[in-house]
Amino acid sequence: MADKNRKKLDRRSLLKATAGTFIAWHSPGVLSDSASASAKKLVGRPKLVWVILRGGMDSLQAIFPQSDPHLISHRKPLVAPLKDSAFDLGAGFALHPALQEFSSLYEQKQFLPVIATESGAKTRSHFYAQDMLESGLADVDIESGWLNRAVEAYQGESLAIAHTLPIGLRGKQRAKTWYPDVLRPAKEDLYERLQILYKDDQLLSERLAEGLKNRNLLGDMEKVKRRNSFASLAGSCATILADRDGPDCAMLEMSGWDTHQNQVGHLDRQFKELDSGIAKLRENLAEQWDQTVVIMTTEFGRTVAVNGTGGTDHGTASAMFIAGGAVAGGRVQGKWPGLAKSDLFEGRDLMPTSDTRQWIRAILSQHWKLSSAQLDYVFPSVKTMDAQLIRLGSKSGKIA
Amino acid sequence: MTAVNTKKAIIAVNRFGLGAAGAELSDAMGDPEQWLLQQLVSPAFDPALGNTESAFNIIAEIQSLKAKRREGDANANLRGKAKGPTVGQEIIMPYRQRFLKDSLTFSVNTKTPFAVRLLDFFSNHFSVSSLTHSLTILSPTLERDAIAPNLFGKFEDMLIAVEQHPAMLIYLNNEKSVGPNSLIGRRSRGLNENLAREILELHTLGVGVGYTLEDIRQLAMAISGWTLNREDKKRKLGFEFRRKAHEPGVREVLGRSYADTGLDQGQAILRDLARDKKTAEFISYKLAQHLIADKPPQALVAAMTKTWMKTQGDIKAVVTTLVKHKQSWDAEAKKYKTPREFIVSAMRAINDNKAVDQNLLKVSLRALTQMGHKPFGSGSPAGHGQLNRDWTGSDALMKRIDWVNFISKRTRYSPAFIASRIFDSQLPPLTVKLLAGAESRAQGLALLFLCPEFQYR
Repeated sequence: MADKNRKKLDRRSLLKATAGTFIAWHSPGVLSDSASASAKKLVGRPKLVWVILRGGMDSLQAIFPQSDPHLISHRKPLVAPLKDSAFDLGAGFALHPALQEFSSLYEQKQFLPVIATESGAKTRSHFYAQDMLESGLADVDIESGWLNRAVEAYQGESLAIAHTLPIGLRGKQRAKTWYPDVLRPAKEDLYERLQILYKDDQLLSERLAEGLKNRNLLGDMEKVKRRNSFASLAGSCATILADRDGPDCAMLEMSGWDTHQNQVGHLDRQFKELDSGIAKLRENLAEQWDQTVVIMTTEFGRTVAVNGTGGTDHGTASAMFIAGGAVAGGRVQGKWPGLAKSDLFEGRDLMPTSDTRQWIRAILSQHWKLSSAQLDYVFPSVKTMDAQLIRLGSKSGKIA
Repeated sequence: MTAVNTKKAIIAVNRFGLGAAGAELSDAMGDPEQWLLQQLVSPAFDPALGNTESAFNIIAEIQSLKAKRREGDANANLRGKAKGPTVGQEIIMPYRQRFLKDSLTFSVNTKTPFAVRLLDFFSNHFSVSSLTHSLTILSPTLERDAIAPNLFGKFEDMLIAVEQHPAMLIYLNNEKSVGPNSLIGRRSRGLNENLAREILELHTLGVGVGYTLEDIRQLAMAISGWTLNREDKKRKLGFEFRRKAHEPGVREVLGRSYADTGLDQGQAILRDLARDKKTAEFISYKLAQHLIADKPPQALVAAMTKTWMKTQGDIKAVVTTLVKHKQSWDAEAKKYKTPREFIVSAMRAINDNKAVDQNLLKVSLRALTQMGHKPFGSGSPAGHGQLNRDWTGSDALMKRIDWVNFISKRTRYSPAFIASRIFDSQLPPLTVKLLAGAESRAQGLALLFLCPEFQYR
């Protein structure tokens, strides 16, 4: 049985794709020999997209508590530039002005931000916290990712937009990976780190400066954004998902969130890229968007106070974004812990008031109709959040 | 393990080897010099890819297919039908891809990286380029059939094997060189000095040292008639001495006379050239420059030259002298890795003994071409440059970063683990700090492969 499955998946692996052009998820007719073929071909199967934001997103910059009286004292230089142009979400929160697509989704009740969430990691190390976020297990197992366990329980198919299978999709259910076959310029963050790395090597630092100048990377970040383009990956991902026999879920990654210095401009670009990504997902998923939930989480948040270099350091609670046509959005979820010194975790970080896994359990229960035993398999010893996150009447449910 | 041995082992695997793969660093720690010296045996290639002789069958196949195609295409044109795939698409490209991929995987997977580095050195020393269909088919076999078997023997044997190899004879036009007073020469055609010039200038004595134009002419006459049997299957395909094209008479090169002994006349000259002090100095210098520094220590080059002269150009003995010389182990890494060394060492670093990912291979070969370091494609009989300044351009660095950005996402290993396999715990604090502070595994690995310690060897 396992072998038979594998064969089928291998045939499906004939993903023909070139960057930015048409993508076929499989060779035609592959599923027609399957008994459930007709049921599976129904448009309207619930889709799930998970975007992991690597590096630790500063949630207080993304969705900031504009009415919290302590905000300004902690991070005036970070908040001041946003104040006037931010998008008001009500309930005392505002969205970063670069998140335009998100704000229009919010107006259409398709965006549901959750504040003050943690991923369960009791650490401020990127690697460990990302492993934890991806595995979703208190006792991290890097060969078993939560999304893989979920899609296994759902008996669906999955895809990672990555070169090698990320932890989040490793496990019993064979996931596919896809990545455009082109060399792309690295994220500007890597160049910044290289400048530090080369500071004692005159030749390399000169060459790097020269190379960057020639590529016009430092002066024109807009170009970098277009070429790097999380948005184009998200667009390809959505095209694959939207195919009639496309996978049920996909995992995307976006890095560049480790903003230790000068984060105002850097995060502005990050948010714009993220925003174009969600726009591309919506555009290319087309009518499938109505049955789609996109979850965005990060390994941890950042310090509440601005540091000495105009950035923030590794912290604890962050926020998660839930968006999609199937989402009952248009409101801010989660309990606000407050920013008074005494409210902070260890006197410096936003205090977590819920765990991302609780929210994802609610989504899996309502969107994919997983049973509580199945939810316990995906995220053991975590409680399901008691909240309606999926729009009633959306076509969510099991494969017939 | 002592810290001294650790440092020496790091130099052994990175400067002399091709960059640590797997647990290689700990293998080298016991006795780094011995770890290098035990590798001095000819590397063995996968025979399934073919050899010089089988290459001729492929060339013959190409010729007959071309003829058929011309006929077929003419017919197709008449009937208005589409043409079939070209010979290039059908035979040459797949053949070339096999060898290109093998040239990378061979270096990535080898358990004798020092031997393979030396093979690369001599392969570049005797550079041939894939200019024509025939050369595309033949050029990968030069290092396999002429260089590798003689890699740790006498230089004169390697020299003769190389100058008689079909790829070299075609590349430097000796195939058609005919002695003016030979039987064929009296009717038509004449001498081509190209190969003779490069033998003196690039392969043995070095440019402009103590030979005259007349020496070049004399050598060219001595090796006239060194040609190929391309298609007569009654005889062995490949190199052939054709007396009817050989210039008769005594030759005089560098003041020495050589009687007309046919094929052996040219061979005798090559043997003397290989044993010449200037050749000993030139190749010792070039080898030390390749391995140690753009300006290698004089004492080291002198010691290698001395061994060369004592052993009449025994390569293994010369390499042993280099390995045992104190100045080969200078703590400062002075050589900036060539694109090929860079790509091979990064691929070795993440190599887990499984088959190398086909897509990674494809992208890496393309990257090598973009960085100007295409296998069998230097485009010059002088080969690729081996000085730092040949490879340290800013665009070359940007292309390295692009490629690293690609490969660093293709492994599950952590940067700290890979770093410890290459450098033990000897990375400087700034690099360690930046690796630890990377925002993801992929970024950490990218920083590791781009740090100065990895880029220099």
